[in-house]
Amino acid sequence: MLELIGAGFSLGWPLLAFLVCLILYFQGSIKDPVEKKAATFKGIVGIFCALAACMAIANYTANFNADPGVLPVSLVLITATTFVLSLYFTNIGALMKIGGFMFFVAAALSGYGNWLPQVEGGFPPPVVKLDFQSMSAQQLGDEGEKIIFGGLGQSKTQGAIGKGQCPLCHGFQKGFLSERAPNLFDIPARSKTRLEEPNYHMNDPASRPSVQKEAFEGSGTAVDAQEYIAESHACPNCYVVPGFGVKGSNDTESPMPRIHKAPISLSMGELAAVDTWMYVREGMEAPPYDVIVTSYEKFIPEGDRITVTEEDDGGAAAGGVLATGEEPVNEIFMKAACVACHTIPGIEGATGKVGPALIEGTNAPNRLKDAGYKGKAKSVKEYITESILDPSAYVVTDYPDGQMPKDFGKKLSAGAVNKIVNYLSQVKDGQDPPPIE
Amino acid sequence: MGHLLGRMTRNSKKVMAGTALFAMVGLLVLPIFMALPALAGGGGGGAAGQPPADVLAERAAAGVGEEAEEEQVETGRDVYYKIEGPAVGMPAPITEDNETYYPRYNFESRVLLWVANQQHLYYGSFVLAVPIFCMCIEFAGMVSKDKEMAKKYDKLAYDFIKISLTAYSLTAILGGILIFTFLTLYPAFFGYLSSIFRPVMHIYALLFVAESATLYIYYYGWNQMKEGVMKWVHLSMCVILNVIGTVLMFLANSWIAFMMSPAGVDEQGRYLGNIWHVLHTALWNPLNVHRILGNMAFGGGVVAAYAAYRFLSAKTDEDRAHYDWMGYIAMSLGVAFLIPLPFAGYWLMREVYAYRQQMGITLMGGLLAWLFIIQATMIGILFLTTNYYLWQALGRMTGGERFQRYIKYLVFILVVGLLVFITPHTIVMTPAELKAMGGQQHPVLGNYGVMSAKNGGINAIIMTTILSFIWYQRGNKIPTVSWSKFGNIFMGCFFIVAQLNNIWLACYGYFIPANVRIGLSVPQVAGTLSCLFLMTPLNLAMLSGAKELGPIKWGTIQPRSQYALIMLATAFTWMMGLMGYIRSSVRLFWHVNEVMRDNSPWAYTHTIGFAANVISFNVLFFWITIMFVFWLGALGMKATPVPVKEAVPGTPAPQPAAGS
Repeated sequence: MLELIGAGFSLGWPLLAFLVCLILYFQGSIKDPVEKKAATFKGIVGIFCALAACMAIANYTANFNADPGVLPVSLVLITATTFVLSLYFTNIGALMKIGGFMFFVAAALSGYGNWLPQVEGGFPPPVVKLDFQSMSAQQLGDEGEKIIFGGLGQSKTQGAIGKGQCPLCHGFQKGFLSERAPNLFDIPARSKTRLEEPNYHMNDPASRPSVQKEAFEGSGTAVDAQEYIAESHACPNCYVVPGFGVKGSNDTESPMPRIHKAPISLSMGELAAVDTWMYVREGMEAPPYDVIVTSYEKFIPEGDRITVTEEDDGGAAAGGVLATGEEPVNEIFMKAACVACHTIPGIEGATGKVGPALIEGTNAPNRLKDAGYKGKAKSVKEYITESILDPSAYVVTDYPDGQMPKDFGKKLSAGAVNKIVNYLSQVKDGQDPPPIE
Repeated sequence: MGHLLGRMTRNSKKVMAGTALFAMVGLLVLPIFMALPALAGGGGGGAAGQPPADVLAERAAAGVGEEAEEEQVETGRDVYYKIEGPAVGMPAPITEDNETYYPRYNFESRVLLWVANQQHLYYGSFVLAVPIFCMCIEFAGMVSKDKEMAKKYDKLAYDFIKISLTAYSLTAILGGILIFTFLTLYPAFFGYLSSIFRPVMHIYALLFVAESATLYIYYYGWNQMKEGVMKWVHLSMCVILNVIGTVLMFLANSWIAFMMSPAGVDEQGRYLGNIWHVLHTALWNPLNVHRILGNMAFGGGVVAAYAAYRFLSAKTDEDRAHYDWMGYIAMSLGVAFLIPLPFAGYWLMREVYAYRQQMGITLMGGLLAWLFIIQATMIGILFLTTNYYLWQALGRMTGGERFQRYIKYLVFILVVGLLVFITPHTIVMTPAELKAMGGQQHPVLGNYGVMSAKNGGINAIIMTTILSFIWYQRGNKIPTVSWSKFGNIFMGCFFIVAQLNNIWLACYGYFIPANVRIGLSVPQVAGTLSCLFLMTPLNLAMLSGAKELGPIKWGTIQPRSQYALIMLATAFTWMMGLMGYIRSSVRLFWHVNEVMRDNSPWAYTHTIGFAANVISFNVLFFWITIMFVFWLGALGMKATPVPVKEAVPGTPAPQPAAGS
């Protein structure tokens, strides 16, 4: 409060000084003691109101971006100012009262808006370059879970949503709420039975009652479970599960978007990852990557396919490096996708929980002393370098081995690794993070 | 000619004036319809699916055969209409975060554009709504058999248009500021939109000229066209003014509708040569209807606030009586359009869901869901305020005190209805909050916030408001028709049955699936609309020849009632800003949904608090400037007083509009 008053003074001192001079002028110019008293009183009220108005402006200026939650305070201050002015300056009383009331309403509504939980829609997620083709089924499934739910282990959390946005409408666990679209629990097994449903018309798309008979001309219908899943993703209109069509369409049109198109825009690799997760999470053997991709190729015309090569801008998948070392360290963390799995103090968006938090200035010395440590590092920096280039050299307790990619030595330049090591070695528990260079 | 007109009967004059009106409107609208087939071909191009004529001519001159043409003309598939068309436009630019695509000052460009846009919209809404009021009021004056009342209505309409005239210049200035803001801060985006809407941009500009010309003729010709047929011609000018204004608004709406639900372009954003498809997108018509109603309610609010200001600063009883009456008329008009607004909103939302279910969910159950809780609260506040004003207004009528003891029951229904209406169901939460709550629905509140119950809440509120209005109409009257007892019983039963039906359906919704539950809104709304459209006229019929307990004492209403009008106006302005923000931010990181991506540093959605602060700023900025306009209007009135004999408080005239 005192700080705000100070800010108000520093902003409005010329005005306040003018008002003080005005009061002094009244002392000399007005002879009638009653009038003089009234003028002095009005002058003091004016000073109070001017100060309140300056405090309001100062608060607005200082906190517009920093802490918008306190901006309604400015409106309250102006409300008080206008009401006081309306009491003592009756010639503009009605206007001031109305203005004050309006400021009061605006302050109340702003305050209400700031009181509610503050949800901010972040930037669209950066495209992470992954080589889906060379992943194991488990790795592919994990990526699928991230695409659907936004993170590993999130599939059991109701409301968790990833790039695929599937849980907006679909339930995935037995008994989970799924009123807008079918619950996808047990879908790999159920897909087969879908092919036999009366309106599906396997191998006879022309007989379908739906608004769209085929994904594209000549694509035909699915003939097995995997193809059914692919078709339902690439062409939701081709077959609509009874009861889940667009209202009024008699289940001939689906409300679901094609997920290989904007705004979801999953690449072929990501589609394969999503499908693989649906098999893996039920303990089923997922079809190989190529089989899944082939099933999608049947329903997505070549021009519409988003491939890994297209997404990649000459990065790791094309044989280049993810980061050259010329970038600031936060960008390197971002490009190498460290932030997806690790919490890194000082790096915006690095809140991953898959791997340990990277507070290496504190942790590394302890790990070097750990009896279980069999690596070759002798110093903190050497330890960090080793854990990037050879993650299995020492695996932190409670975290599984094999999660972290082992090819960062090829994907990051020496300069980039050095920047990471320099930064992480300075991150210490209980201290401010180091500056980003 | 004058001799001929003199011999015409009053009815035949009306017929002639009506014919002239239709002819004028027809002549005005004809060029637009004539232009549409040509526009459909792409602004002078061929029919849909064909390249423009100049392209064909060039090809013919070059001796390019049909086969070669088929090979050369690149086609695209309409993202909405799903039909092929010649890709005659350039693809939407793929922007990057740099000064070329997004030049900037040392401030968030998006907020600057937001403020410029909102101010233009506020003023635009006001100047489009006021002529509609003028038309209604001037018409009411012309058909009124009471000459005093006719004069009062005429003066009121004149006062309205005078305020509008000053605001009109400000609207044009703000429009210019908006365009400059667009051009300087979002040149690539604005360039793309301009390329798409090029065929209609000049029509828009010409309509603006026509609007200005008609407005000036209407205003400056007021005294010249005040008698006989010329008065009808004058009213016809207002009709024309409103037709032009509405078409202007539809064209402006087509830009925002295109940004939300693009059509007439392919996936790359290339214009496919059919401007009608670009205009007629999935959300255009619902937005048009919603905005017309919204503008009217907003305009009513602004004029009511003006009247309240004049009432509170009035020095004489006569002035107080006049502005009390003016506030009442403006408030009635505003609320009349506020009542159907939620239904138009439901239609818009239904079309949003039909267009993109994800968009609907982002709005109602996702990122923006909390903003709808604010909106629901504000709708509740608007209706509560309206009721409060009506109850206060009963105080200026002899006999109005009969209803005071029942008001507490109405308060109970309104408060319960509001609490149900604002109870959330699915809530956006962080993972930690989700874990703490054990799911997306609150263990207790989550059971109550389903759609049918919310519909029940708002319908109960609207029905109660209708009842308040009926009581107000009866304030100083006792029905004397022979069937008044039967009428009262019928009316009472009708309200009770409608309310019970509403509550029963609200509860029944808990026992049926969501996709069936949503259909309950139809019978719920039907009950409310029946109350509105059957009970209000029935009440008027019962009040025909009613016994008056005393006059309406205009100007004797409590000053606090005027703050209800100001509250109504401020809250409505705030809600308009809120809904505009919601509509715009639902595109998330798209300039044009799924066609042109926003790659600026501001391609994220602000927190609710930040949005609320900017909305408050916009609201207050608008009100400070419109106060200035009011002040200018008052200066003008002082300069040229219109000699009209005012009704003295305590005399029977004027009567409430609904009762006259």
